[in-house]
Amino acid sequence: MIKVEHLSKKYGDLAVLKDITVEIKKGEVISIIGPSGTGKSTFLRCLNLLDTPSGGSILIDGTDILAPNADVPKVRRKMNMVFQSFNLFSHLSVLENLTIGQIRLLGRSGKEAEQKARELLKLVGLAGKADSYPDELSGGQKQRVAIARCMAMDPEIILFDEPTSALDPTMVSEVLAVIRRLAKDGMTMAIVTHEMAFARDVSNRVLYLDEGLIYEEGTPRQIFEAPQREKTRAFINRIRSLNCRISSADYDLYALNAQIETFCEKQILPAKTRQDVLLLVEEVLLVYTPLLSVAPLDVRLSYSEKKESLELIFENTGDGDNPLDNKLLPDELGLTIINKLAESVDYRRVNDLNRLTLTIKKI
Amino acid sequence: MKKTILSIFFSLIAGFAARGDAGWNSLDDLAEGRIAVFSGTVHDAFVARKYPAAKLLRFDSTADMILSIKKDKVDVTLVDTISAAVIMKTNPELGVLQEDVLNMPVGVGFGKRAPELRKRFNRFLKEIRADGTYDAMFRRWCGGDPEAAVMPEIPESGGEEKYVLGVAVADLPYVAVMDGKYVGFDVEMIKRFAEREKFRMEIVSLEFPSLVTALASGKVDMITDGIAISEERSRMVDFSEPYMEFRTVALALKSKIAKFAGPAAAAPAEKSFVRKVADSFRSNIIVERRWLLILDGLRVTVVISIFSAILGTLLGALVCFMRLSKKKAASLPAGLFISILRGTPVLVLLMLVYYVVFASVNVNPVFVAIIAFGLNFAAYAAEIFRTGIEGVDKGQTEAGIAMGFTKTGTFIHIILPQMVRRILPVYKGEFISLVKNTSIVGYIAVQDLTKASDIIRSRTFDAFFPLVMVALLYFSISWLLLQSLEYLERVTDPKFKRKKAGSL
Repeated sequence: MIKVEHLSKKYGDLAVLKDITVEIKKGEVISIIGPSGTGKSTFLRCLNLLDTPSGGSILIDGTDILAPNADVPKVRRKMNMVFQSFNLFSHLSVLENLTIGQIRLLGRSGKEAEQKARELLKLVGLAGKADSYPDELSGGQKQRVAIARCMAMDPEIILFDEPTSALDPTMVSEVLAVIRRLAKDGMTMAIVTHEMAFARDVSNRVLYLDEGLIYEEGTPRQIFEAPQREKTRAFINRIRSLNCRISSADYDLYALNAQIETFCEKQILPAKTRQDVLLLVEEVLLVYTPLLSVAPLDVRLSYSEKKESLELIFENTGDGDNPLDNKLLPDELGLTIINKLAESVDYRRVNDLNRLTLTIKKI
Repeated sequence: MKKTILSIFFSLIAGFAARGDAGWNSLDDLAEGRIAVFSGTVHDAFVARKYPAAKLLRFDSTADMILSIKKDKVDVTLVDTISAAVIMKTNPELGVLQEDVLNMPVGVGFGKRAPELRKRFNRFLKEIRADGTYDAMFRRWCGGDPEAAVMPEIPESGGEEKYVLGVAVADLPYVAVMDGKYVGFDVEMIKRFAEREKFRMEIVSLEFPSLVTALASGKVDMITDGIAISEERSRMVDFSEPYMEFRTVALALKSKIAKFAGPAAAAPAEKSFVRKVADSFRSNIIVERRWLLILDGLRVTVVISIFSAILGTLLGALVCFMRLSKKKAASLPAGLFISILRGTPVLVLLMLVYYVVFASVNVNPVFVAIIAFGLNFAAYAAEIFRTGIEGVDKGQTEAGIAMGFTKTGTFIHIILPQMVRRILPVYKGEFISLVKNTSIVGYIAVQDLTKASDIIRSRTFDAFFPLVMVALLYFSISWLLLQSLEYLERVTDPKFKRKKAGSL
């Protein structure tokens, strides 16, 4: 349906997209992932010409939309877009947001448009909000209205530009649920997202964008579990684990906690699990504090979706003693807490490194 | 430092004490006093030359000068003998300090480019002096009480020729407005001139100081209003043979003049407030059908306000789009337009448009006023619109375009309704200030509400009532016009419909 060939986009001297060639077929759900600043959004915006490509061609059902005589507004009606910042028309009610395009652009009667709008609002679970105004809705509700507004135009494809990035974590899932629903109904979609779990189970195909290219593409399984190329692997690992090094006793515990919290949120872990992890890290670090003057400590937190468990690994050099076995521990309380929170505690010496591994079950 | 302030303070007190001294005998006693003159007149130059130490206060209307004397804001004023008689009739507390302060010949001014008309006038003047018409006119206007004089009917001639006469409506006996018509010695004289020479005549009223300028720039063909023939004026325009002698007297409060000293005249019984207001109402509105002036002025003010707001809004929208354009060729001139227009006083702009841009075109001054105020309003409106457009977040434009609207369609359906709502509060304020700003159009011979009140004040010497009335009228105009904008504000409130539906 959409065929992109050698698409490029430059801002001045900065080449954001270098050479993108991809084909999107009807009914496909494509996730576009990659590090920030690699042109994922730009790619999407080039597709409907919100940004004008610097080179290449975009063929939609065989017609080149970059041709000078192309009727761009008409082409855009075939592929509506959902934005990160919702962009609802703030002077119109929810219902009018859904009908204005139908009436002005598709020539539907007011009655027809309203009926369609109400059906769609029911679909996204906001039938009761038809007469509200955008500033009276929560972020998640706004984004669901935005999706319904797209659907009202009967597009052949919907482009999602980071639809959940501007949302409170609590509202992410309601929006994702609506998108999942559309996917199940066979809607063709291209989604730029940072929600990896979502990307994995909703899409048929994942594009990993980096260096202005489609660096690697494949099924979700291929990309998330067996990435072939080096940068993809690094990216996937980075999402999966949190690494940091503590080199003195005066480390910033709050900054570390914030990192851990963000990581847990990304993995959509329950609040209870998050609390447990934070508490556990704090207690273990207390044990390690006297040792920090001798050698730096590496902390790694990773999450395995399959096992639904978190792994906390502490590594440092130094003599081969298990810090938790040390009889010099100030009191028994810390140790009790650690044993209670962790499902398993394992100490091992690997390649002259002391490695303490704790696992936590997702609750 | 402290010393200087103290000495200034003491000299002020000393000054007051000196003024409080019993009785002035002549103008010379006031060589360091406060002297009020009509700005731009020969008195202005005379006082500056003869009493350089005096504090010179320039006024634009006789009414204001009289009021200042009565309120002791000035000591003495210089006016024409016949005007003085009229003034003293309604203001018995004033008296003549000195007669024949300055006597000068009075003439009709003609443009230097058209000497023919002046020759014709001189011939006409000779004729009426010979056949007794002049004497009859002089008796009528300058002999007894000019206020009682009745302007004779002079048929208008329907000739091809047409000349414009500029007057300042300074006062009787020269030019005044009664029953909504121009009357006075000068008016009768020029009307007779027109009748005899068979040309049509139109009278426009200007500010006195701008009479000579208007003639020199060709806006009018002749000027008259008791204009003394002075050297400076003769350089700019040509004067006819003198048709009268202008005799100046110095007027002051009787209580301060030596010869009126003695037991004060019994003060007239104090009138009640209601009685006073009723009297003022009668003399300022009913007498001489002065409400006609007010009504005309009101109409002019409303017309200028509405049309310049419309012109300014349309032009402002155009300038705004040019300013927002990415092309330098469009945005640069627009930016320049805005900074120049906003950086110039609207009065200066008004005069420039009238005397420079339309100098050689005979154009209705109301039209000129609409253009000038429209231009000024456009500069402000353009910036108001720009903030309105930029205030609508860019994402909505993108959403509109992504949906399939054209750029224009997005603007009309998405941006415009939100912009209108955003800018209305500021726009309303700008509009009110436009309505009030139009009060300066008197400078280019437009008789608006303010000018009408000036003319009335020049006849009744009542400062309070006409000013308050005009203030109330301006307020009512602004309020009424605002209602329409407020209606717009209500219907553009997206929640208005729902509120309305909810209240049913």
